[in-house]
Amino acid sequence: MNYQTLTPELLQELSGIAPKRVFTGSDINEDYSHDEMPIYGKAVPEAVVEVSTTEEVAAVLKFCNEHHIPVTPRGAGTGLVGGAVPIHGGILLVTTRMNKILAYDEENFTVTVQPGVLLNTLAEDAASKGLLYPPDPGEKFATLGGNVSTNAGGMRAVKYGCTRDYVKAMTVVLPTGEIVKLGSSVSKTSSGYSLLHLMIGSEGTLGVITELTLKLIPQPKETISLIIPYPDMESCIGTVPAFFKNHLNPQALEFMGKEIVISSEAYVGKQVFPRKLDGVEAEAYLLVTFDGNSADELDTVIEKASEVVLEAGAIDVLVADTPALKRDAWAARSSFLEAIMADTKLLDECDVVVPVTQIAPFLVYVKSLEEDVGLTVKSFGHAGDGNLHIYCCSNDLEEEEFLKRAEKFMEALYNKATELGGQVSGEHGIGHGKVPFLAESVGKVNMALMENIKKVFDPNLILNPGKVCYKL
Amino acid sequence: MELLVCVKQVPDDSVTVVLENNAPKLDGITPVVNAFDTYALEMAARFKEEHGGEVTVLTVGGEETVPSLRSCLAVGANHAARLDETAACDSLGMAHLLAKAAGKAGKFDVIFCGVESTDGAYGIVGAQLAETLGLPLVTNVLGLEPVEGGVSVKQETEEGYRIVETPCPCVVTTVKPGYEPRYPSIKSKMAARKMPIAGLTAADVGAEASAYGPDAAKVRQTALSAPPKRQSGVKIQEKEAAVAVSRAIKMLAGQKLV
Repeated sequence: MNYQTLTPELLQELSGIAPKRVFTGSDINEDYSHDEMPIYGKAVPEAVVEVSTTEEVAAVLKFCNEHHIPVTPRGAGTGLVGGAVPIHGGILLVTTRMNKILAYDEENFTVTVQPGVLLNTLAEDAASKGLLYPPDPGEKFATLGGNVSTNAGGMRAVKYGCTRDYVKAMTVVLPTGEIVKLGSSVSKTSSGYSLLHLMIGSEGTLGVITELTLKLIPQPKETISLIIPYPDMESCIGTVPAFFKNHLNPQALEFMGKEIVISSEAYVGKQVFPRKLDGVEAEAYLLVTFDGNSADELDTVIEKASEVVLEAGAIDVLVADTPALKRDAWAARSSFLEAIMADTKLLDECDVVVPVTQIAPFLVYVKSLEEDVGLTVKSFGHAGDGNLHIYCCSNDLEEEEFLKRAEKFMEALYNKATELGGQVSGEHGIGHGKVPFLAESVGKVNMALMENIKKVFDPNLILNPGKVCYKL
Repeated sequence: MELLVCVKQVPDDSVTVVLENNAPKLDGITPVVNAFDTYALEMAARFKEEHGGEVTVLTVGGEETVPSLRSCLAVGANHAARLDETAACDSLGMAHLLAKAAGKAGKFDVIFCGVESTDGAYGIVGAQLAETLGLPLVTNVLGLEPVEGGVSVKQETEEGYRIVETPCPCVVTTVKPGYEPRYPSIKSKMAARKMPIAGLTAADVGAEASAYGPDAAKVRQTALSAPPKRQSGVKIQEKEAAVAVSRAIKMLAGQKLV
């Protein structure tokens, strides 16, 4: 693809669209050259434009489309697959200035926001009104635009679903500069192809989201969490289907291995998860949250859940029933990625999702690869929905050797996940880091369909080129 | 040894409390056991498990404090008692009620209090309780061990800690030790639901009406005000990282922070 570089004349024209918010050269912050997974490479854009209105986004895209300049949309840059990295240069379109919560409709349980509002900001603001925005990805400082673009999942997906389930409507600027409104606040629709749902999870390849109307729910009155230690990972994961068979409906159901718990607790400086109980070493844990309308209701639920997990081999069940205990129990879980990054020089990650019943065989397979591939493997994930985060790490290999081994490891993981009926990404997306694995997993026809859809929206392939479904 | 832990129910201290009509607005804030009292209880429970004895928790308050006592019973307390009294007290009045209730609840070798509560934060009830009971007091305690006739106590100081000994019975006020309060297990939580909580009244324990309550208070709260809003920070806008760092260090040094 022949893209045009930004000449001084073009730059001047661009500066007229977003005065004092166009940056070039050494004025570009280094952070803009990468996301949170630097193993997929860094790339510095020719210019950064910090947009502030839908009309500005439209003007920038129209300008880029006319001049064949690539544009990469970026929120807070917390992605893990290189989705917001400007690998073909051009313009990085940053939405973080569009950070206003515009309006609540408390009768219809919706909120309208700009795309640069952080997840944490909305969560806290909604909570102050007795409302809950259910999607709960681990990274709380991602933008909502980014969450929608990757269909982010998170801890509460097992009960409440993913970001997709909470997007009612959006304003989008197409690569041609046209502004469209997709979806509406109605509860149901059977009105043609859902362009809204096509846009969700499209990782900024089909359009730039400039406004979102999101669904909220009433905040559950009570929550309670359980820390459940197990003597081995197999019995830990093996318990998961039993929750659902017994009509237990956890808000969150996370699994974690001992090693990652130890490093995360060292990172946050507080030990919460027991290492040994009744003389038995804990090798794996489930961390579960239930929500409900009263403490009595939840007491009955956790009593039943405890019977189920103890029967399935849990060593004991610890109850986090105060705000401080709940906070501490979840603090370690929320810091897994930061803890791994703090401990590790080189790492790569896989975000596969497999059927819940296949988590155990998949993890056994992962463990079996560790020695052969010669990398340290750390695993955790959303046990309740089969979405696993597997990290391969090294502190002593050269980068080239690490990349070789990581590729071999990832290839084996993705093949196994596909064989078990899984998918390449549960919630992080494809970016440019996972394109070959997606192609292998979904096959030629599906990839061609996606590529052709991309061309309908973006005939000049200017928007986030080389991401999701094709390489240039 | 017989151990008593005095606990207070307070609003969850992780929530920012705002003022409304000169009073803290506490609607919707979960009541919890004061954090320093949870450290005291954990310290007492560990002491009991290592050296024998039993732990009793005691609070002063209405029916709404029962869940807090049950949560204490789930994490190491053997017995719980509640003095059913909701009159507004200053710390001396509270010390009087606790002293009387402690006398009724049993004979104790060590009485634990958190060093302060996270709501009022006067930090003197423990000392006033010791004074009222005529017992020795060790403040800022990090841990304790039994010795002949008393306990050896690790007391936090500005520089570190020192070890002191005191005869029993005594009162200790606890700070945050080097460990976390335990989580209740499902079994202990369920068992705590069925455990009795001794109900006491001011009359039962022989509290003197002239010694507690709003009329007896020697300290009166005259006003409450929110802390002043913090000034916005200084933005360092140097382009060169080295220059920016050097400016930041100079500013910190100027404030005697480094």
